[in-house]
Amino acid sequence: MKTPTNCQLHTVKISLAVVIGALILTLNARVSRADETCSSPYLARIDGQEEFVYVWTLGVEGMGDGADKLVTVDVKPGSPGYGKVISSSSVDGRNEAHHGGFADDRRQLWLAGLESSRVFIFDVHSDPAKPKLTKTIDNFAETTGGAVGPHGAYALPGRVLIPCLSNAKDKGGKTALVEYSNDGNYITTHWLPTKEDAHGASGAEFADGYGYDARVLPRKNALLTSSFTGWNNYTMDFGKLTADPEAMKHFGSTMVMWDFHARQPKKVFQVPGAPLEIRWAWGDKHNYAFTATALTSKLWLVYQDDRGEWQAKEVAPIGEAKGGVLPVDISISADDKTLFVDSFGDGKCRVFDVSDPQKPKQIYEKQIGKQVNMVSQSWDGKRLYFTSSLLARWDKQGADNEQFLRGYAWDGKELKQAFDLDFTALKLGRPHHMLFGSTKIGANRTTVASK
Amino acid sequence: MHFAHRRFLRPIFALGLASSVMNLFAAELPRDSDYDYDPPAPGSYSLPVVKSAPDGALLDSEGKSLNLRDLTHGRVTVLSFIYTRCAAPKACPYATGVLNQIHHLSVDDTTLAKSMRLISISFDPEYDTPQRLAAYSENVREQGSGCEWRFVTSKSRAELEPILAACDQAVDKRQNPADPQGPLYHILRVFLIDREGRIRNIYSSGTLDPRLVVADVKTLLLEESRVSKQ
Repeated sequence: MKTPTNCQLHTVKISLAVVIGALILTLNARVSRADETCSSPYLARIDGQEEFVYVWTLGVEGMGDGADKLVTVDVKPGSPGYGKVISSSSVDGRNEAHHGGFADDRRQLWLAGLESSRVFIFDVHSDPAKPKLTKTIDNFAETTGGAVGPHGAYALPGRVLIPCLSNAKDKGGKTALVEYSNDGNYITTHWLPTKEDAHGASGAEFADGYGYDARVLPRKNALLTSSFTGWNNYTMDFGKLTADPEAMKHFGSTMVMWDFHARQPKKVFQVPGAPLEIRWAWGDKHNYAFTATALTSKLWLVYQDDRGEWQAKEVAPIGEAKGGVLPVDISISADDKTLFVDSFGDGKCRVFDVSDPQKPKQIYEKQIGKQVNMVSQSWDGKRLYFTSSLLARWDKQGADNEQFLRGYAWDGKELKQAFDLDFTALKLGRPHHMLFGSTKIGANRTTVASK
Repeated sequence: MHFAHRRFLRPIFALGLASSVMNLFAAELPRDSDYDYDPPAPGSYSLPVVKSAPDGALLDSEGKSLNLRDLTHGRVTVLSFIYTRCAAPKACPYATGVLNQIHHLSVDDTTLAKSMRLISISFDPEYDTPQRLAAYSENVREQGSGCEWRFVTSKSRAELEPILAACDQAVDKRQNPADPQGPLYHILRVFLIDREGRIRNIYSSGTLDPRLVVADVKTLLLEESRVSKQ
């Protein structure tokens, strides 16, 4: 046994100071609950309530300037501009605006174009009310070794993880995870496991190489990915796609658990029907994540069993057992008790009690619109925001093609609308991904992860 | 309470002062609820180059001028940005605690002792004078053994700014200078730099697991030995 040195004794003094600081932080944390529940744990968090909702919006030909744009909406309580657009910044052309994400220090917002494979980097630090485009990555396929269809951006320490949907070679579903540094320089590409090259992962017989979402549970060193479909399908007219049996074969049916630090796939799960968004639980001992399968309308749970082995299982239907409601985005509450599930097909948000993650129970549903896609929830669970657009060629037609951002209040029992923005009437386009902004940014989420 | 630095704090709460001193620096860094996994084996994975580490003028804790480049070449380097007035538990005190753990491991590991370097750079040069850094280093560094551990500051914030910008190290003044967490707000940044001065990993809250940092250092050392055999 070693004897304590001066250094060690001094470090104990420092530790005591840290304890006092920790207690102070705990008290502060009790009054600072905001931000999105679906954001990266590595992301600096908002102190207090969100002030802005950033909406990555698809341009529509003949509507306004016709370009994709980042729309900023004021959601400060009591603000004269509450529920109104306060700025809009267009990018070059239409790119199939889809998802985005902040760099870990929340100074940049990265927004991806699924069709053009361009990535637009906005400064949201200098003036959070008026983001400014500072850089465009327009050589994505060449730089990454053939990955295309950047799906979003996920904050990692000092870098951004971009899960992709397709590849330049055949524009099918085989794809990769790509990393860039926060200053926009390419770092590396990790191709998803296939039957032919599973990179040592178990379950190789299921591996399809498809990708969609990618999210980390830091304390388990776990990176989980899901799978959708390739460029050929997501750029096809929806009616034509569903009438094409061959095209319908090309959807993802896997999720993959990775060793996050090593970026090595460890296990491939068979999850039929295109598992999309991944939401890890936040609780200290909650070693599980939910996803929803778009084509089979099911909730799935990926969890660690009693032996510490990761498993995946179907835990509940979404809508009628026959399916067909096309679940898209999901949002878990910060206390891990409630899961909001949007379904594009019927325009509803269904709310599940997931206190027992193995047995979710639907407790409420609300018609949000004739179509609905994304949902973003505040950290305190009191505010939810919904948008309507799925993909430019998959949105509904005619009168069913509502395009909106709608804010709601949730009291634990029902959703009550707080504001409604008609993006068609405003000549903005098709609103897709939402992210929260603020002038008040605090520490990393991992500091106050769950309580 | 959920603080990922519990590894650093738990002994204080649970075992009392004397036994905590023993546990804090156990040669084997244990798996715990904050880092509840077995780290990958050194050399079983790769660490792609992120970018080149920057250069810039600095002052060491004796007030002597030096260049950052001199500290990011020749050894595998773990570089941490700190300021000594920081009391945010998941920030500088935690980072310095992790470097202390790694430094302690290097006392009994001759490879780490001769091949690794630790650097703590202050981004609060107005307060963190060379004299204050010298006192700070006396508090946290084991003298006379283990790997090199340098504490450096700069003549001015303006002189430091290009280094901070190149390292994407954001630092802002808090609205309340008497904030109990310290007068500056910053995101935690710790860098792994290879002998050629290239950044190979970046750690922050949630990833600054000393076991991972040591695995990464050893991965770079194994990479060097493989290259030299080719």
